[in-house]
Parts: sequence; structure tokens; C-alpha cells
Amino acid sequence: MPALTEARKKSLRREMEALLGPGAVLSDPDELMVYESDGLTLFRALADFVVFPLTAEHVAALVRLAQREGLPFVARGAGTGLSGGCLPAEGGLVISLMRMNRVLEVDYDNQLAVVEPGLVNLHLSWAVGARGFYYAPDPSSQQACTIGGNIANNSGGPHTLKYGVTTNHVLGLEVVLPDGEIVWLGGKTRDPQGYDLTGIFVGSEGTFGIATKIVLRILRQPQAVRTVLAVFNEIDQASEAVSAIIARGLIPAAMEMIDQLTIQAVEDAFGCGYPRDAAAALLIEMDGLAAGMDEQAARVIAACRETGAREVRLARDEAERQLLWKGRKSAFGAYGRISPAYLVMDGVIPRTRLPYVLRRVNEIVAGYGLRVGNVFHAGDGNLHPNILYDPRKPGEEQRVVAAGGEILKVCAEVGGSISGEHGIGLEKRDYMPLIFSEADLGCMARVKRAFNPTGLCNPGKIFPSRKGCAEAGFASRPHPIEEAGLAQRF
Amino acid sequence: MHSPLSRRLAEIVGGAHVLTGAECAPYVVEGRTPECAVFPGSREDIAAVLGVAADSGTPVMPWGGGTGMALGSPPAHPGLVLGLRRLGRLLEHEPGDLTATVEAGMTLEAFQAELSRRGQWLSLDPPQAARATLGGILASNASGPRRHLYGTARDLLIGITMVLADGAIVRGGGKVVKNVAGYDLPKLAVGSFGTLGVIVEATVKLRPRPDCDRLVVARFSTLAEAGQAARAVMASDLIPSALDVVDGEGLRALDGEGAPGGAALLVGVDGIAEQVEWQCEEVGRLLKDCGLAGVRVLDGTERDEAWRAVGEMPQRAFTDATAGMKWGVLPTQVAELIARAGAVASQRGLRAAFVAHAGLGIISAVLDAAGADAEQVACTLGEWRALVNGSGGHALVEWAPLAVKERIAVWDTPGPDSRIMRQLKAELDPRGILNPGRFLGGI
Ligand SMILES: Cc1cc2nc3c(=O)[nH]c(=O)nc-3n(C[C@H](O)[C@H](O)[C@H](O)COP(=O)(O)OP(=O)(O)OC[C@H]3O[C@@H](n4cnc5c(N)ncnc54)[C@H](O)[C@@H]3O)c2cc1C
Ligand SMILES: Cc1cc2nc3c(=O)[nH]c(=O)nc-3n(C[C@H](O)[C@H](O)[C@H](O)COP(=O)(O)OP(=O)(O)OC[C@H]3O[C@@H](n4cnc5c(N)ncnc54)[C@H](O)[C@@H]3O)c2cc1C
Repeated sequence: MPALTEARKKSLRREMEALLGPGAVLSDPDELMVYESDGLTLFRALADFVVFPLTAEHVAALVRLAQREGLPFVARGAGTGLSGGCLPAEGGLVISLMRMNRVLEVDYDNQLAVVEPGLVNLHLSWAVGARGFYYAPDPSSQQACTIGGNIANNSGGPHTLKYGVTTNHVLGLEVVLPDGEIVWLGGKTRDPQGYDLTGIFVGSEGTFGIATKIVLRILRQPQAVRTVLAVFNEIDQASEAVSAIIARGLIPAAMEMIDQLTIQAVEDAFGCGYPRDAAAALLIEMDGLAAGMDEQAARVIAACRETGAREVRLARDEAERQLLWKGRKSAFGAYGRISPAYLVMDGVIPRTRLPYVLRRVNEIVAGYGLRVGNVFHAGDGNLHPNILYDPRKPGEEQRVVAAGGEILKVCAEVGGSISGEHGIGLEKRDYMPLIFSEADLGCMARVKRAFNPTGLCNPGKIFPSRKGCAEAGFASRPHPIEEAGLAQRF
Repeated sequence: MHSPLSRRLAEIVGGAHVLTGAECAPYVVEGRTPECAVFPGSREDIAAVLGVAADSGTPVMPWGGGTGMALGSPPAHPGLVLGLRRLGRLLEHEPGDLTATVEAGMTLEAFQAELSRRGQWLSLDPPQAARATLGGILASNASGPRRHLYGTARDLLIGITMVLADGAIVRGGGKVVKNVAGYDLPKLAVGSFGTLGVIVEATVKLRPRPDCDRLVVARFSTLAEAGQAARAVMASDLIPSALDVVDGEGLRALDGEGAPGGAALLVGVDGIAEQVEWQCEEVGRLLKDCGLAGVRVLDGTERDEAWRAVGEMPQRAFTDATAGMKWGVLPTQVAELIARAGAVASQRGLRAAFVAHAGLGIISAVLDAAGADAEQVACTLGEWRALVNGSGGHALVEWAPLAVKERIAVWDTPGPDSRIMRQLKAELDPRGILNPGRFLGGI
């Protein structure tokens, strides 16, 4: 992308202000800096403009303007993404959906809600909670992240073990396609005719257009909940407990694992009552009918004891349950207290390979002279090794990234995936060949072209940087994010 | 009768696996006989067969169990049938991971039998499991009553391998239950009716088989009451695995003696014994206020037989039903739409039967038009469609005689999003050799 001239910038700014109203267009570098990263601060890229539409028509007009000017554009929700997905890798327009944050309609009888993309995930559960409903996908970032971002990344969370990830809860979307046309994919009814465009849009990381309305399923809150904390002296025992529970025919709502480093960090910071000397703790939650709940809890507890749990606690009331969850939920905050920085990794493995892979993760990270804390969705094999480091120490960031790459290789080797919920974005695009062949990527590139033929909608994401793009038949540009001071790694 | 085409195919798959002429009789689709039927033994052979087809511009119809081949617009030119029956193995089943990888030509029944030996199942229960294959079920997005709780193929399929029209063998998704790397290609495969690629392998999520599984059949004297009852269940704490409404004519399939006006609500409940018992009792308590006329709780073979009967309602309700539609509407619209559609049929002197997944708004409508001419049938189906479309729903003609299909479109009028569908087809099958012309919008 040749840089825009100042004169051109001014006139575009005027045009967009006329469309959106005053205050809805940022182009001052100081203001743009706020939007140069997401939750993964290793990557930075500056936009030419950040704009704040209020309606789908606004979004459509902005997209048409971007196409007319040959400017790249990218949607941005809350910017909590962890793969650089919402970064303007090649400059251009960042279209923030944060002002489009209303719940438009709730149909309790049909158990669905229509929302705008900038709605914060948790706010939907708040909005429908009084009537006994909730929205099931619960990313740990749910107090901040938006439904639009969830759609793009097909986000998961602790309770997706039983309830599925975002895609299992989306019925339809109104989207602004990359050429500016507003269309509905799916709707309020099941099994719409034709290809499942809703299904392929979810998880497309903002490369197929911008969602402007979303139809979501809402669920009735369960009658009963039981939460168990099982404490182990060996991490392998905790992994085996996960399998033992599944083998007993149970699918809990959530099964989260917390390792020793994390337990100690959490205890130092917040004191949630986890035993500091434990090698691992499993937080297991069951929900559903009150009938049979005690029996389920008994089966879970028996499975934990059989695999060697030294202690099993069953939360007696909501306050105790919240305390147990607090340990899990405050892990990220706790890392922040013991380390100047940490890299959140995201990989998936078949859950039967947990013992082996966790050992490998610890070996790999130790080999780089670093420390790792693991807190993750054990029930579905979705690992989150968090590698602690100090960016001020020369070379440490490079070692973190190298260790992360090796961990992804192990995930691929055991038949897993390089991302369970954070997406590929900028961060992992060059790891895609670990799990996909050229033919696989070529097919994905063709699907992308059907939606996004000019490639201007969120360029530089998902596909491997150099080679992959040429193979995919896209105009292969030099590495925009690494050139021209637009962006830098580290 | 050996055409140059069949000779080239025989070179790839071996002569024993190519049928021509009269041998193709079992593979006639909507009155049209294919040039030949070919049964490759590997995905590489499938790629080679597609190459031959592309070279000669011959359309290809992927064929699983053949139970759903009449779905879609009639093929303009039959071309060749590509049968998946030699790809019928279970490749991997790791109970601890609750996943299995299976070849597309395996029948659902054989697959479930293997899984159940280790206490698990694929929570998908479309009709015709003895013949229907995994590939065909995915391609036609077939489902059954337990989708109420467990979802459909789109929720259960985590990895797919397809052979594209140009012979490329591509994989999407993976073998783990949670995965967001790359685009969700499995979603594109589901419901694509063989128009984007030939499915050769699938990895699916499994569930433990429940300890206990029952079916509560609740009778009502009117359809409106059954509809009200379904809504009451939805609004309660119950967590049924299935929630079907059957109208009076449809009930004939269940017990041979349905009555116009009557109706039933079928509530499936599964899980551990205590849960199931509580749910069975609670259904009875809850429905007392909805005009419950009688209730039976079925288990074991009785339960399985009842579900099978509901799945086969189209064949069982009438001796010779004429046409069937599948509608998608809002759950709250189900009972009223069935009543209105029933009235439309009876005004024309025709009989109709209905089964609905009431909690999801999926309705299967069957028309018995013995003696009526194609024009009359098409008009009735057209009125039904207008009714459903007018309520914001969609309506598909699932099956009908050719003469009827010549008078009414199988699919609804496509919306603006069909532009993207056409572009997808053009990208993945640019020469249009896979099931051409049979899908929505002429794809
Ligand atoms: C502490 C922490 C914990 C987290 N825990 C989890 C977790 O448990 N599970 C999980 O899955 N993720 C988790 N995440 C990651 C992140 O929160 C999710 O990916 C989230 O969905 C991103 O939402 P966002 O609104 O911040 O999107 P952004 O970061 O702003 O954008 C993410 C992607 O969405 C696209 N996008 C945004 N809006 C739209 C739209 N309207 N239409 C089309 N594309 C759009 C962007 O272009 C970008 O590609 C966590 C992050 C943090 C910081
Ligand atoms: C009487 C009757 C009642 C039915 N009721 C229902 C119902 O209530 N609900 C429901 O959901 N479905 C219903 N169906 C549909 C039926 O269950 C499905 O069509 C069936 O499961 C498909 O399996 P099959 O192997 O027989 O596929 P086939 O009939 O062989 O093929 C069906 C379609 O899929 C394509 N296809 C097959 N295999 C592949 C492959 N490997 N790769 C790509 N494309 C492929 C074919 O080209 C064709 O378009 C009914 C069908 C019948 C005959």
C-alpha cells in the first residue's frame, strides 16, 4: 500500500465525517496508537483511520469507500483478541463496532436474541438473566469482548465443553459483504436452504465481511449446578481424572485444569484457598436438572479419587462456588503480578494425550530457560500454556516465540490443532502448514475469494505469509506488516 | 455396452467396479438412467474418476445409500454415478477422546453398532440408518428427533476430507473437538448435496450412550393443545432430548389408528435413571394443564419402534403418499401452520400428515393426493410454500413425482446471499460437474 497523501487523507476524513458525524473518525497518530494492538501486544500496526459507525448502512458506506480507494479495512470489536486478528496489517481503515452495542430483540418463546456486534458478551446474559435465560459461550474475557469478535473467532470458554462454541449458538447474521452489499446469512429459522454461509462466516476472522446483526440462541438457566475442586500431587493424575470422568459417561459443563505455578501465583495475589503445594487442580462443574445431580457429583468425585486426588472439595453454596472459580478466572491477573509479561498460547490436543503433551510443554519451556503456567480447558484438550517473560531482557521475546512454536509443533504431532479458540490472525499464519497441506490451504483461499475477491477485507491474516499467498493465487505483496515502519515484531 | 467413458473408468477402478447399461437400473434418478455407475476403492481413484469426468464434461452424482437421491431438482443430464460403497470402514475410534473418524460410505447403522460396543454413539438419528451413509447424511444434512438437544451434523462434524472437482484432496477442521484453525470447511460440506466436493472421510464428536432413554407419548384431542404442550415443555426446566409434535393423520404411522383432529407430543428423555424418571413424571404433571388425554412411557424396542415409525411417517401414514416438504419456521408457529396447511389440503379434497420437531420449528409435511393430477398437487404444495414463506419460513419440496417437480420449484426463490453461494460453487467446481443444476438457485 503506498501511503496516502496528506491531501487525500484530509478529503477522505471529511467524507467519512459527513457520513458518520463529528467525533466518529480518528486520524491523529496519537489517537490511532490506541488501536495499534489487540490483546497480543507482540504485534502492532497503525491504521490510517479508525471509524465508529452506528448502523449497517454506515458500515456498508465505509466498506464501499474503502473499495473505491483500494484501502484495506478491518472490523474491530473490543480488541481483546489474542492473535492480532483486528490489526490493520496493511494500514487503511479500522472499523470499530463499539457504538453498535444494542440488544435489538429478545424472543423468549423462541429462545433467541438479535443483537448488534459491539454488544459485550456478558451483557447479553445480563439482559436476559432476569427472565431466567443466558447466553452459553463464555470466553474468560466475557466482561469485555464483543459478540462480533466472538463470531469472527468462533470463541469458546470453560462451559463450551458441554454447550459447544460460538458457532453452535449462531442462527443467522446480517453482514456487510466485502463489496458493501448488506445481506442476511441464515436467519431465525433452522436449516436455511443452500450452503451454510452462517457456519462458514463464523470463525472466518473478519475476512468475509463485517457482521452488523447477529441472531443467537439463548438458553434457560440450569436448575442446579455443582462445582468440585479436585487437588492432585501429580499433573498426570489430574489428566487421567479428565479421561476417567469421560469414561464414566459424564460430560460435565466445564473441566478446567490449573497447574502449580498458576495456583501459587493466584494464591499470592488473591488467596482463593487452593493448596499451594498441589501439582494441579481440576475445577469441574456439572449443571442441569436438580434430579440426579448428586449422583453425577458422586461419580465425578469417585473418578477423581480413583485417579489419585488427595483432596476433593464440593462447593456448598454459591459463595463457595464463586471462590473456586475466582482462582481460575484470576489466573491472568495473577501472572501479571509475578511477571512483567506473558504470552498466552492456544493449542488443542486429543484429551487422551494430555499427560504426554503437558510434560513436553514443561520441558520445552524449561529448555528455553523460561517459566510456564498452564490454566486451560482440559475437558476438550484446549491447552493454554502461558509463557512468562521479561520483554526488557534482550532476546527473551524471541525465545518465548520460539518456545511457543515448538509447543504448536507438539500439538500438531499428536493430531491436534494450532488454535482452539484464539484464531490464527497474524500470529499463527506461518504455522498453518503444520496442520494443513497446500491443497487444504488452496481450498480455503478459494472460499475466501468467493467472499472477498479483492482481498481488501482484513488482509494479511490466516494464510501463510510469503509462500502461501503466492500459492493461493493472491497478489503476493511484500510483507506489509514487517515493512515501512507500519508494524514491527517485538 | 462399453463407451469410451466406461472404458477409461474401468482402467482406474477395475472393470468389476463399473456398471453400464441395464446394470445401472438401481441407480436411476428421477426416471433418468446414468451412463454408468462407478465404485472407486480409494480417494485417489475418486480424484482420477473426477478428472475423467471433467475432461469429458460428464456430470457426476455422488451416491451413498441412495435413500435421498431424489432430493433436489431433477438432473438435466444424468452423467455418472460415483458410488461410495467401497469406502465403508471405521478408521479410528478413541473412546477417551469422544471422537471417531469414518469413511463416507459406511452406513450409519454399521457405524453406531461399532461405537456402541464401546458405550458411545453419534448423537444423530435420521431415518433409514440401515442404508443411509455418513457421507449422504452429511451432504443432505439429514437429522432426526434428537437434534432437539444434540444438534445436527453441523454441530457434530469436526473434520472432513473431500475430493474437489479438480481432483484436489482437501481436509478441513481436524480430529480434535475444539479447533478454529482456518476456515470451517466442515460447515460448507454439510448440506451441500454433493455440489462442492465428494466427501470421503469425516471425523465426528461422539457422546457416551445414556444409562437410560425413554419416550413419553402424550395424547391430546387437538393439535392446538399439543402445540401448547410443546411450548409448555420448552418454557419449563425439562431438558428433553426430543420434542416432536405429530398431527392426527401422522399418528396413523405410529399406531395405525390416527384420527383427524387428534395429536400427540413425543418427548424423548435420556440420561441417568434419576433424571429420566423425574423428567417422565414432570412431563405428566406439566401437561395435565394442557388438556392431556393420555400418556404412555416407552422404553427398549417399543421406544425404538415408535421413533422409527415417526421417522418413516411419510411412507407409513398413507399407502401411497404423493409428495413431501420440509419447512423451517419459528417454534411458536408450528401448530398454527400445520393447522392452516391441513385446511389448505382438505379444501382441495386431499389428505395431509405432519410431524414437527416442535422445539426447533422443523416440519415434515406429507401430501396424500391419490387420484389428484400433478397440477393439483403442485398447486397445493405452492400454497403451502406461500403460507410458510409468508410466515418468514422456508419450504423445500423433499420429494414429489417428476410431473409435479416440473410444475413447482424444489427450492425457495434464492435470496441475495445466493450470489456468494454461486461464487463458492464457481471457485470449487468451476466446470460444474458435481450434481449440476440440482441445488438452490440452479447451482
Ligand atoms: C484475558 C483474556 C481471556 C480470554 N479468554 C478467552 C477464552 O476463554 N476463549 C476465547 O475463545 N477467547 C478468549 N480470549 C480472546 C478474545 O477475547 C476473543 O477472541 C474475543 O472473541 C475477541 O473479541 P473482541 O471483541 O475483543 O474482538 P477483536 O479482538 O476486536 O477482534 C477479533 C477478530 O474479530 C473480528 N471482528 C470483530 N468484530 C467483527 C464483526 N462485527 N464482524 C466481523 N469480524 C469482526 C476482527 O476483525 C478480528 O479478526 C481472551 C482474551 C483475553 C485478553
Ligand atoms: C422416505 C425418506 C424419509 C426421509 N426423512 C428425512 C427426515 O425426516 N429428515 C431428514 O433430515 N432427512 C430425511 N430423509 C433424507 C435421508 O435421510 C438422507 O437423504 C439420507 O440420510 C442420505 O443418505 P444416503 O447415504 O442414502 O445418501 P444418498 O441418497 O446416496 O445421497 C443424498 C445426497 O447426498 C449426496 N452424497 C451422497 N454421498 C455423498 C458423498 N460421499 N459426498 C458428497 N455428496 C454425497 C448425493 O449426491 C445426494 O445429493 C429422508 C429420506 C427418505 C427416503
